[in-house]
Parts: sequence; C-alpha cells; structure tokens
Amino acid sequence: MSSSLSALLSATFYERGDDHLVELIHQRDTAAHRRLHSLDVAVYDPAGKLLATPPVDPGREVLDLGALVEEIPGVPDRVMVAFDTRYDERIFPYRPHQYAYLHRRGSTAPALYYAVNAVLGGVPDRIGVTTMNNFETYLFRRAPFAERYSVLLGCLSRFAAVEAQVYAHYGRERTSREVRLEPRTHLEVEVPAEHGGERLDRVELKALFRLAAYVVGRRAATGELVLFDHLFTYFK
Amino acid sequence: MSVPAAPEELSDGILLCYCTALTIGELRQACASGNWPPAGKEQSGKLCTGCLGDLLYCQRRFDSIRRP
Repeated sequence: MSSSLSALLSATFYERGDDHLVELIHQRDTAAHRRLHSLDVAVYDPAGKLLATPPVDPGREVLDLGALVEEIPGVPDRVMVAFDTRYDERIFPYRPHQYAYLHRRGSTAPALYYAVNAVLGGVPDRIGVTTMNNFETYLFRRAPFAERYSVLLGCLSRFAAVEAQVYAHYGRERTSREVRLEPRTHLEVEVPAEHGGERLDRVELKALFRLAAYVVGRRAATGELVLFDHLFTYFK
Repeated sequence: MSVPAAPEELSDGILLCYCTALTIGELRQACASGNWPPAGKEQSGKLCTGCLGDLLYCQRRFDSIRRP
C-alpha cells in the first residue's frame, strides 16, 4: 500500500443566515488517526473572486461555515466554499467522506443533512472504478414539498470554463437551459416547479467536466431551504 | 486553435488530476518529451472528470511550446 498522499477537492455553498456545519472527517475508527494531512479552505463569490482562505486545523472534525464566512467583510449572500484536502489512504481507504447539517436560523423548516460534493478526486485511481460523474440526475417525490426549485452549480477548474446543460422533465415535456461557468464561478439555475400543467419530476445535469452541483428546494415566501442534495449518477 | 493566456501561473507543483495525483510539472515534462501519459497516470482526467478541462488546457499550452 502506498504511503503517498491522496487528494480531494470538495465544495458546498453557504447562504447568509444559515446554520451550516460541515463534518470534515466522518470516521469513527478509534484505531485510526482520524486526521487529514492538510486542509485548505477557500471562499469564492459568484464571479469567482477569491474572498478568503481562512486557516483551519486539519485535525478538526466539524467546521462551522457560518462563523467562518460571516467574518469576511462584504461577503455576498451566497458563496462557494472549497475544501482542498490531502489525506493518507491508509486512514481513509476510499476518501474522507464529508457530511453537513444545514438549517436556516429561526426557521420552522426541518434541518437538512447532505453529503458534500466530492468534485475533484472523488474517484481515486487506486479503487479502479470508472463511472460517468458528469452526467447526473435527481428524481423528485411525486407529492410537491417545495415551492421553488433550482440547481446550484460551481466550477472548480483553475483554467478552463465549463459548459453545462440543465434539463428539467415534466411528464413527457422537457425544458433545458445552457450555462457556462468560468473558473471558480458559481450560479443558481432556477427550475420551474410546473410546466404545461405537469409537475417537475426530475432534473438532469450534463457537463463536459464535473461541477459542484446541488439540487435546491425553497419555500417561496422566505427562501428557506427545504431541500439541499447532491445529484446522482444514475438515469431513469 | 488559439490558447488564451493563463489566468493563473502554471506552477509545476500544482495538482492537476486529484484522482491520479498528476501535477502540472509531470504533465509539462510528459509533453516536452512526447511521452504522454506517464506510467501510472493513464487515467488522468477520466475518473471524476473534474480536471479534464484544465488538463486539456495545459496540454495545449505545453504542446504549443514544444511545437510552435
């Protein structure tokens, strides 16, 4: 087994007013060291401007994004937070799995739990898996539970822009929108909840290169999140 | 095809492919010697695909240096 370090670049989005805790190390093996070798956190505005690189102890298990982001002067309402990690595969045989807790402060909506998107390095070469990570789908429940839907997209490239298509399916009907993301930029693509009298039943994301992507559902009046989840690499 | 100027320094130590641990320096060396891909880096850009755009961008840059 190699002792060289492996790498993971994961990302999520923080919105002002949310309690948002990211579990950087989801491992409870007491025999292991449960420690990342290094962790660089970077915060980007929607135009891709680097706002901050706050130092974070790589041995820390849970990171409070609200405390971290809201200290940044002039921070916009939504930012992309990237976690650039080096880790020892002897401690994390696949990769460090990172999960998060999300809840708007004061909201009556239930808290959300999700897996943080592993954007670069999510499929380490040593595990021998080949899959198409850049074609992703999300299936919605039949009964509506959110009033506004969208897809949050973030580009973690350094040099290359990424073109992507977001498809929304309504029964036999389909709408699409093409977007282009420059390096380190992010945007929210609105997806109508209804089209032609049919409910939204799934969205698909097709991109040349893998993006940070989440499906979002909100209450119309307040914007409170009631859905925040990554897409899946399966198709219906 | 023209290649735009790099928006960020192409430092050799930068990790390009997180799945295979390919650095920009390794890619530069492979392009210069005409030996792409290096041994053990055959899957670069093909697994999570998140780096593929950057990989192609850098290959074009380095190939244009080798073959002006």
